[in-house]
Amino acid sequence: MSVMERNRVPRLAPGCRLNAAGGPEDLLLIPEGALRLRGPARVIVELCNGERTLADIVEELQRHYPSAQPARIETEAVALLARLRERGVLEYT
Amino acid sequence: MTYTPRALIAEITHRCPLHCVYCSNPQEMQRRSEELSTADWISVFEQAADLGILQLHLTGGEPLSRSDLTELVRAGRGARLYLNLITSGVGLDESRLDELMAAGLDHIQLSFQDSEEGPANEFAGTRSHALKLRLAQIIRKRRIAFTVNMVVHRRNLDRLNELIEFAEQTGAQRLEIANVQYYGWALRNREALLPTRQQLDASIEIVEAARERLKGKMRIDFVFPDYYAKYPKPCMNGWGHQQLLIDPAGRALPCHAAMVIPGLEFPNTREHDLRWIWEDSPAFNRFRDESWMPEPCRSCDRRARDFGGCRCQAFLLAGDAAATDPVCTLSSKHAVIEDILQRVNGDAARQWVYRMDPS
Repeated sequence: MSVMERNRVPRLAPGCRLNAAGGPEDLLLIPEGALRLRGPARVIVELCNGERTLADIVEELQRHYPSAQPARIETEAVALLARLRERGVLEYT
Repeated sequence: MTYTPRALIAEITHRCPLHCVYCSNPQEMQRRSEELSTADWISVFEQAADLGILQLHLTGGEPLSRSDLTELVRAGRGARLYLNLITSGVGLDESRLDELMAAGLDHIQLSFQDSEEGPANEFAGTRSHALKLRLAQIIRKRRIAFTVNMVVHRRNLDRLNELIEFAEQTGAQRLEIANVQYYGWALRNREALLPTRQQLDASIEIVEAARERLKGKMRIDFVFPDYYAKYPKPCMNGWGHQQLLIDPAGRALPCHAAMVIPGLEFPNTREHDLRWIWEDSPAFNRFRDESWMPEPCRSCDRRARDFGGCRCQAFLLAGDAAATDPVCTLSSKHAVIEDILQRVNGDAARQWVYRMDPS
């Protein structure tokens, strides 16, 4: 991540929100329906609250998954957020 | 096989200030005196959430015609549903929008009939275009998901580039370009509305180019005119597979046009709970699996993809709801479609007829 990227603050776009936690599946509700969130995706999206920077989010994830490789966590989180951004469900403040 | 419904389409009223020539509501509409009460709807929403439904589409008619709309939104959101409002905008202003958003509205889909005021008002049979423009300004200033829906047909498809540019100006995040589907009132005006093949081919290229140009800015969904397709559309993603519609009087249907099918008794939410309706009612099970399928569907590789097409269209065009959708080029009744397309591509467009509002 470049310095500029590290300081970006992601949040869900209007009309996009997580379903209630603890249900049978993790879903991101969007105008056209719902996206199924797999693996750690829900945790990552939950961290995108419009206050944390990308660097904060990666740091939190590394704390959350101490046994995973820190570099891999960063790559995967950044890739997921880029996909969500392209899909129009995530924006930067 | 069990099916979990994902979306509830709640037609909360058939009353509408517009008289669109391509209205897809049934030719016989429900009157105000027959509409479900606020408490009836709230009970339906709670049952829907218990069934696993995620999305609630409030539509009509014009849903804003109901004065309890804010209460319905609040109740739907309280039941943990995702709240979509599908509207012409007539009846909306800043304070009502703020109220709806405070009640939990997630997404608003605003219809436009054209980019230009003259044709827009002509297609709608009402002077509503100027109001819609003002509403788009109001909506875009707020943090709410915003889709513009533009219905296209023979009379405006040649101006598709302008229609897309217009949608961009509204500030919507998403544009739905919907070719008219021939059900309800629209069926009566079919030969005035079906585009020519030339118009359709040009429009497909325009949509592809616009999608590329607007990537990351505005998403474009395109609803194809299925009369021109080689294979039928996977109507409702399968009969009783994912979606459930309740009409203003409380009748539950697998899709909005299903009332035309004779011999099916559609259960009413006033008499049955939603779980029984979804899981056990004969109407929802009638075309759910593959046992009803005739040839060529029964042995077709595509049967799990398009489910034999649309049951309502099979009835409307082939006289048998259990026939292959005649849109399919493999259907023995496909000549019906070819005849219509030949007329539409040969003749000048016919005049249309306007519909009136139910009292």
